Amino acid sequence: MESIDITALFIITLVAIGTYSLRISGLLFSNKFVQEGKVKIFLEYLPATLLLSLVTPAILKEGITGIIAICFIALSIYKTKSILLSLVLGVAIVALSRNFL
Amino acid sequence: MNNDFRYGFITNLPIGISVFAYGSILGMMCTQKGVEFYELLLMNFFVFAGSAQFVMVDMWGSSLDILGIVIAALMINLRYFLIGASLHPLFIHSSKKEKFKYMHLVADENWAVTMQKMKTESLSPLFLFGGGVCMLFTWSLGTTSGYIFGGFISDPAKYGLDFAFIAIFTALAFSMYKGKGDLLPWLITAVCAYFAELLIGGKFYIVIGAIMGSLSAVYFIKDEDK
Repeated sequence: MESIDITALFIITLVAIGTYSLRISGLLFSNKFVQEGKVKIFLEYLPATLLLSLVTPAILKEGITGIIAICFIALSIYKTKSILLSLVLGVAIVALSRNFL
Repeated sequence: MNNDFRYGFITNLPIGISVFAYGSILGMMCTQKGVEFYELLLMNFFVFAGSAQFVMVDMWGSSLDILGIVIAALMINLRYFLIGASLHPLFIHSSKKEKFKYMHLVADENWAVTMQKMKTESLSPLFLFGGGVCMLFTWSLGTTSGYIFGGFISDPAKYGLDFAFIAIFTALAFSMYKGKGDLLPWLITAVCAYFAELLIGGKFYIVIGAIMGSLSAVYFIKDEDK
């Protein structure tokens, strides 16, 4: 038990240091990039592409249900702009399909 | 300047409710995987990255694969390098000390909200930091309640709760939609992410998909407008 606790703390410490280093080095090195033209467009698109890239495989693994849920989320964002409502809608669709289909 | 902190905190509150919701799912997972409560809190404060914490907890077990967990979590968090770079305009007048102080509490949500607001308003890094404190607060509250009440829900997947963090990130991405010009780069992102995950394995697909999608945007926008 004792050794597992220490291993756990070791893992958390490494991930914490690594994550902070990534955050701060991205900002510090950004001085070296030219912040206009192509780089600017690239960085402008990053927020959305990073998030989409993160979720795409997981959505497709969910199959048709995942795609339907995502369509409703898109529609709900378009109509209401509410992240919370879209979240509830997406989860509800997945829950319904898992229990009743 | 202090107003920007409060403004950031309040602006992020609605999204904080969603963060609370999927934090509670992580809390539940922790009870099932045997993660101690103090370990969860340490992760919340010092790692402070929802998706990486999900992966860490998912890989948690009676024996811990140190290298496997650390590499998986850091691969997911590689995107924070790009996120940090994209924050350059916000920190343009900041000292090094401020950069080191405010960069820790940067999560996907308060970063996305800040990037969105920056298009129309001039903000200081305190807006981002206020949002970060809001995230830390709601995230900790959510994970803690999930941990406490986790025993009551034996199968979170039955209620689609494991889909919550996918839903919130998708909703965040869609809320950034600016017009038809986004569709092609977004599609390229999705296709590249899918095949990168399929072919390479691990978590490199996140950064690969994002870089390919954003590069395609550079290419197409140059062709159309300028």
